[in-house]
Amino acid sequence: MSISRDDILQIATLAKLSVEESELPELTKDMAQMIAFADAINAVSTEASDFDNINGLVNVMREDVVEPSFSRDDILKNAESQDDGFFLVKKRS
Amino acid sequence: MKYELVSGLETHVELATNTKIFCSCTTEFGGDQNTHCCPICIGLPGTLPKLNQKVVDYAIMAGLATNCEISPISKMDRKNYCYPDLPKAYQISQYDMPLCKNGYIELSNGRKIGITRIHIEEDAGKLVHQRGNTYVDYNRGGVPLIEIVSEPDIRSVEEAREYVEKLQMIMRYIGVSDCKMQEGSLRCDVNISLRPVGQKEFGTRTEIKNMNSFTFMEKAMKYEISRQADLLDSGQPVVQETLRYIVEEDRTESMRGKEDANDYRYFREPDLVTIEVPAEKVEKFRAALPELPDPKRHRYIEQLGLPEPDANLLVKYRKVAEFFEAASDGVKNPKNVANCIIGQIFRRVENEAQKEAFEISIPPEYLRDLVLLLDSGKIKMNLLKSTLEKMLDSGKPASEFISENDLAGIDPDTLKTLCTQALEQNPNAVSDYLGGKEKALKSLLGHVMKNSRGRADAMEAEQLLIALIRS
Repeated sequence: MSISRDDILQIATLAKLSVEESELPELTKDMAQMIAFADAINAVSTEASDFDNINGLVNVMREDVVEPSFSRDDILKNAESQDDGFFLVKKRS
Repeated sequence: MKYELVSGLETHVELATNTKIFCSCTTEFGGDQNTHCCPICIGLPGTLPKLNQKVVDYAIMAGLATNCEISPISKMDRKNYCYPDLPKAYQISQYDMPLCKNGYIELSNGRKIGITRIHIEEDAGKLVHQRGNTYVDYNRGGVPLIEIVSEPDIRSVEEAREYVEKLQMIMRYIGVSDCKMQEGSLRCDVNISLRPVGQKEFGTRTEIKNMNSFTFMEKAMKYEISRQADLLDSGQPVVQETLRYIVEEDRTESMRGKEDANDYRYFREPDLVTIEVPAEKVEKFRAALPELPDPKRHRYIEQLGLPEPDANLLVKYRKVAEFFEAASDGVKNPKNVANCIIGQIFRRVENEAQKEAFEISIPPEYLRDLVLLLDSGKIKMNLLKSTLEKMLDSGKPASEFISENDLAGIDPDTLKTLCTQALEQNPNAVSDYLGGKEKALKSLLGHVMKNSRGRADAMEAEQLLIALIRS
């Protein structure tokens, strides 16, 4: 599979990365190599069932019974930024 | 040029489960921000989702009620996109193996709107944009949704509205969702494209996101149809994009270029196992479905002899239909029960929410007993009506208000005496009536009814009054 300059720009947009014009040729080449590496998988049979979990488990589900949620302090404990009980996402400049 | 609308809808319906789709946090609406959360629904690393059985059950019911096939095997997939309403940067949804597919909803004009698929997924959190920052509340994150995707079969704004109304009614009937648009438990994305009348190929479509009221949906569609028509008329292309509707300005604006499915990099959710639905389970659910609105409406019209408008009003809310059926059980003419509900009881339930809940002061059996008195000729219509008002005021049965004396009715001699008295005491009314004022008769009738304490039959009394005046 070949990778074009536009593919790189599109991927960068989706990943919210800014890419310099000067970086494009190098990135395009690297990405093409990575994809070529992954192409090996195409040689393998890919029936949907082959991707199932190795335990062969189906229908692992839980009953619809409410359990207490965590305290808000615990929920927000790891937040980089918070305000008034909300997670706060600062606007990117 | 004349254009034809081609529209398809994606309808998100929040399921009425107690817990979220992948964790045991409550799904209750509202609550202080970030108080219905746990490490699973805020997407902390190392947590594992576990599917709520009820979500699968409800989705199967929704599929069966909309004539879908239920997939014997389905799975969950990751839909990747980066936005703060999704803490994991992906939504767990279903991509190529949805739980339900190939269904339809039939509209009143006989057209069938195809349902491509119904899949289960998790709702995103709520974002509040303020002071240049974004505040995130994940209470809604992980609340179970079904997304009902229609075929592009809709050809008018009216059809779009009816389609959503029917979905709403059906989902409420089977009890899988309360479908409250104002609380966001039913919301639609509307795809819109135009093509010249007679052309087969579809035009380029745009998608208006997150319509959460019927009025706004209709307005947004009308705006977008005329915007696209103007573009096409002036030879400009319609750009495929995602739009939001600005209520205050009655216009749509671009949110972002439309993603292709590729951009979401869907792949199998490795943390959740395959969902298998055995045929026996599907049949069990099919057998347990309640009678749905359309068959019920037909039955009311065909078998109970109700006029169509009455049938529509009674069927619209499941609880009203249940009340009607209990109250008309064994009654000679169910139309009398329908009249009581539509004419009198509905006046006491003002809004949609109240009709939906239909909590009224008397049980349906009280109404049935009252109508049975009419059936057996023991009381007349006017006494039935006034008694029903008293019953509704007090929550008491008819026997509290109708005495043995009333039940005896009124004999022809007494009625004649009362009528004669009314004529003698109101000579002016009599001459007015003879002078051509039809209304004067009503005041005479009023006297008769009052003096008979409501026991006289109004029709009989009216005829007798006319006969006496003319004699």
